Amino acid sequence: MKFIGYCFLIFFFLILFRFFYIQILQNNYYSTQAYDNSIKVIPIEPARGLIFDRNNTIIADNKLNYSLEVIPREIENLDILINKLNDVISIDTEDIKKYKRILNNNEYNQTIPIKSNLTKKELAEFAIQSYQFPNIKLKETLKRYYPKGSLGVHFLGYINRISKKDLSILEKEGKKENYIGTDHIGKAGVEFQYEQELHGESGFKQIEVNSIGKPLRTLKTYSAKEGNNIHLTIDLKIQKIAENAFKNKKGALIAMDPNNGEILAYVSMPIYDPGLFIDGISHKNWNKLNKSPDKPLLDRAINGLYPPGSTLKPFVAIAGLENQLRMPPFKINDPGYFYINNSRRFKDWKIGGHGEVDIIKAIAVSCDTFFYGLAIELGIPKLNKALANFGFGKKTGIDLPNEKAGLLADAKWKMKKYNKKWYSGETAITGIGQGFTQVTPIQLALATSKIALPNKSVIPHIKLNSQHLKQNTNNIAPIRVSNKTIAWVKEGMENVTEDGGTAAFIGKNIKYKIAAKTGTAQVFSLKDGEVYDEEKIPEKLRDHALFIAYAPAENPKIALAIVVENGGHGGSTAGPIAKKIFDYYLSSEYR
Amino acid sequence: MNIVSLQNYIFKKIDRPLFGSLTLILIIGLINLTSANQQDMTNTMSQIINIFIGVAFLYFICNIQTRTILTFAPWVYLITIILLFVVDFFGIKSHGAQRWISLGILNFQPSEILKISLPLILAWFYQKNTNKIDYKIHFLAGLLILIPFYLILTQPDLGTSILLLSGGLIIIFLAGLPTKFLITSFFGILLSSPFLWNSLLDYQKQRILSLLDPFSDPYGAGYHSIQSMIALGSGGIYGRGWLNGTQTSLDFLPETRTDFIFSVFSEEFGFLGVLAILSLYIFIFYRCMWMTSKMQDNFSRLLSAGLTISLFTGFIVNVAMISGLFPIVGVPLPFFSYGGTSMVVSLISIGIIMNLYSNKTLIAN
Repeated sequence: MKFIGYCFLIFFFLILFRFFYIQILQNNYYSTQAYDNSIKVIPIEPARGLIFDRNNTIIADNKLNYSLEVIPREIENLDILINKLNDVISIDTEDIKKYKRILNNNEYNQTIPIKSNLTKKELAEFAIQSYQFPNIKLKETLKRYYPKGSLGVHFLGYINRISKKDLSILEKEGKKENYIGTDHIGKAGVEFQYEQELHGESGFKQIEVNSIGKPLRTLKTYSAKEGNNIHLTIDLKIQKIAENAFKNKKGALIAMDPNNGEILAYVSMPIYDPGLFIDGISHKNWNKLNKSPDKPLLDRAINGLYPPGSTLKPFVAIAGLENQLRMPPFKINDPGYFYINNSRRFKDWKIGGHGEVDIIKAIAVSCDTFFYGLAIELGIPKLNKALANFGFGKKTGIDLPNEKAGLLADAKWKMKKYNKKWYSGETAITGIGQGFTQVTPIQLALATSKIALPNKSVIPHIKLNSQHLKQNTNNIAPIRVSNKTIAWVKEGMENVTEDGGTAAFIGKNIKYKIAAKTGTAQVFSLKDGEVYDEEKIPEKLRDHALFIAYAPAENPKIALAIVVENGGHGGSTAGPIAKKIFDYYLSSEYR
Repeated sequence: MNIVSLQNYIFKKIDRPLFGSLTLILIIGLINLTSANQQDMTNTMSQIINIFIGVAFLYFICNIQTRTILTFAPWVYLITIILLFVVDFFGIKSHGAQRWISLGILNFQPSEILKISLPLILAWFYQKNTNKIDYKIHFLAGLLILIPFYLILTQPDLGTSILLLSGGLIIIFLAGLPTKFLITSFFGILLSSPFLWNSLLDYQKQRILSLLDPFSDPYGAGYHSIQSMIALGSGGIYGRGWLNGTQTSLDFLPETRTDFIFSVFSEEFGFLGVLAILSLYIFIFYRCMWMTSKMQDNFSRLLSAGLTISLFTGFIVNVAMISGLFPIVGVPLPFFSYGGTSMVVSLISIGIIMNLYSNKTLIAN
C-alpha cells in the first residue's frame, strides 16, 4: 500500500515537472507556435507599373485575370482532381503541362495555377460548383498584357514566373521579402532593366485562420505600393513603320534624337510574342524560338555584332583629317585597285575605279582605294583611337541589359587571340570596315549622331527623363574634332544622297536633306578573280546591307543606323527603310 | 432530530473531504467544458445530467450493504463480458473503433464498466479463496483479466486495455503475488515486446513512433500531440484566460471535449490552474488510498485499491498523453472529460470506496 503511495507521488511530480517544463520554460516557443498556427500572413502583390511610349500609348498593360490555383502539398491525387474539375471546366493537356512545369520550377510560391485566363462563363460555372473543390482557390490577379503584341519586343522585353534561380538572386540582393507575394519578374528589356521601379512594394494582410485554414477575420492590412509607370523615349508609330519596313528581312535599326540621345525606334528582326513568357513559356515554344536559325531571341540592336563595312568610312576619314592626312584639296587617282608593297592587290568595289577622288568624293562614292591607302598611312593605333572617340569598341551605356561592346582589333589583340602577327593588308581592309572590326547597330547610331551634332554629349537611352542618365551625361565630354573636319565629312555624307552618291535615289523628291553613308558587309569572302553575283549566292551568305544617316542635314533631328542581314547592297535595301522613317518623323504633321 | 443531525444522517456514509474536492473538480470541469465547446451549452447541460446520474448512483451505492456488492460481483463481471461480446458484433463504430452499445437514446461503453467490474471480480475471487492463495489462484485471476483485455484490445482500444491490464496486475500483486514473480514476468514482457510490437495495428505503431518524435510527422500521427503541447505551452503561468485559447477556439486542438479536455484547461488557466487541479486529483487519490488502508478484509482492500488505481492510471495516462509523455491512446480524464459512461463509472467507483470505508469490514454487516 505504501509502495503504491510512493508511485502516486513519483508520477505526480513527474507530470508536474513536465507541465512546468512545457508551460513555463518553453512558454515562448509554444506561444510563437500557437500564434503561427492561428495567424497567417497573406502577401498582397503590388500592381506592376505600366509602360508607355513617348506619346502615352500603352505598351505593357495589366489585365484582370482569374485563375484556379492549388497548393501542391494539399493535393493527394492530381489526376482525380483534374478529372473532377474537367466536368466543370475543360482542362486540357497544355494546362496540365504548364502546371507541372511551374511546379518543377517553384518551391517558393504558395499556390500554382492549374488553369488561368478563365472566361466569364468558366468563372460562373466554377463559382457554382466551387463547394466541390475546397482545395482549389479562385485567385484574382492583375496579369501582364502586351496590347501591341510583338511590336518592340526587344526593347520591351517580357516577364516570366520567378524561378528558383531568380529567387536566390533576390535573396542575395536582400529583396526576397518584397517578392513574397509576387509571381513574376522582368526577364529582358525594359521589364528587366527597370524591374525595381515597375515592381513596387509588396503589402500583406494578417488574418486569423482556424485549423483548416479558413480565414476568420483580418487583423491588419498593409496595402501594397504599386510600381511606377514608365514612359519610354520610343515613338510607337515610328517603331511600327520601321518594323513593317523590314518586311520579313532580319536585321536591326536604331533611330535616335542626336540632340539628347532619346531612342525613337529600336528594332531587331525577327520579333516574337512577349506574351508567350508570362505563364512560363512551353517547351515547344521555347525550342521554336531558341533553335530557329533566324534567332528571334537575339536582340540585334545591342547584341548583334556586325562588320561595319563602308559605314565606317566617315569615321576613318575623320581619323585621317584629324591627323592632318588627306586634307582637301588632296586628291588621289583611283585606278580601281590598291597595291600594298607592290605585291598584294586590293580591289575597289567599282571595276575601273572612280578616277580623281578627294576625301569628300571618297565618302560620297564610297571609294575603297582611297581608304586603303589612308588606313595604311594612318596605322591601326591612330585609327582605333579616333574610332574609340566615337564610341566604337565600348558599350554605349544604353539603359538596357547585356549590351555588347563590339571590337576594335589591333596587333596585340590578334596575337592574344590567334597567336599570329598583324599584316598590313588587315590594316587596309580595316579602313573600309571589313576585317576584325565589329560594331553594334546602337554604336553606329550613336557615332552617326555624334557626326550630326558633334558638340552634344549624349548617352542613348530608352527611358524618358531618366535622372540617372542626366547625371551620367554630364560626365561625358563632347568629342573633340575640328569644325573643318566635321564640315568635310558632312559634305561627303550629304553627297551620298545626291547624284553620283551611293544612295542617290533616296535623295530624290524630298523637301529636306539627308546625310548618309551606305555599307555592305561581306558575310563570306570571294576568292580573287571571283565575281560577286547576288542571284547565285544562297540568301544566308549574301552580304549584310548597312546604312547610317541623319536628317535634316543642316539641322539634325534624327540619326539612325540600319543593318539588314543578307540584304545585299546597303543603299538599295536599307536606304528605303530610313527614308520612310525620315519622311514620317520630319513631316509637318508629326511636329 | 435537529437539522445538523439530519444532515449527519443523510450524509453519514459520504466521506466529506473526498466528496468536497470531487465537487470542486466537477464544477471546474463543467466551466472548462463550456470553453472546450466554444460556449455551446448543449454538452455542458448533458454533462450536468451525467453528473447527477453519477452522484445518485454514488449515494445509492454508499448506502447499500457491502455484502450486497460482494454478492453481485460475479454477475456484474459476467454481464460486462457479455456486453463486450455484443459490442464486438453489434457495436457502433466511432473513430475506427467499435466501443459503443446503443440502447435507444442511450449509448454507452462496456469497456468503461470494466473499470469497476474487473476490480470487483478480482476482489471477489481472492475473497472466496482467502485461505488458499497460491500460484494457481493467481493464474486463474490472471485469466479473469486476460479475457476482457483481449476483447477490448481487438475493438481496438489499446489505451483502455493497457489500463485494465496494469490495474488488474496491481490487484494480483496486492493480493500477495511474490515480488520476484513480478520481476520475472516484467523481463518476460520485455523479451516478448518485439512480438507484441508486431501484433500492433499500424495506427498504434504510428502513435508510439510519433511519441518518440512528434515533429517528424507534424501533419500526420504527431499532429495531435504537437497541437496539445502548443496549447499547454502557450498557456504559460497564468493562462490565456477562459474562452481565450486560440488552440481551442480555432479548432487546432482535436477532441477537445474528451481526450484533450485538460489541454483546453491548461491553455486557458496556465500552470497555476494546472497545479491547482493536479493537487485536487492527487488529494483525491491519497484520500482513497488512506481510506483503503483503514479497511479490514481482503475484499474491501483489494476492491478499493483496485478502483483507486484504475482511476489513477486513467488520470496519469491522460495527462501524460496530452503533455507528450505517452502516446495518444484515447483515454478520458476521469471527472473532467465529457462522456456519460466514464463519469457515471468514476462516480460509482468513488461510491464503492466510500461504502467500503464507512462499513470498514464485511463482518461488521
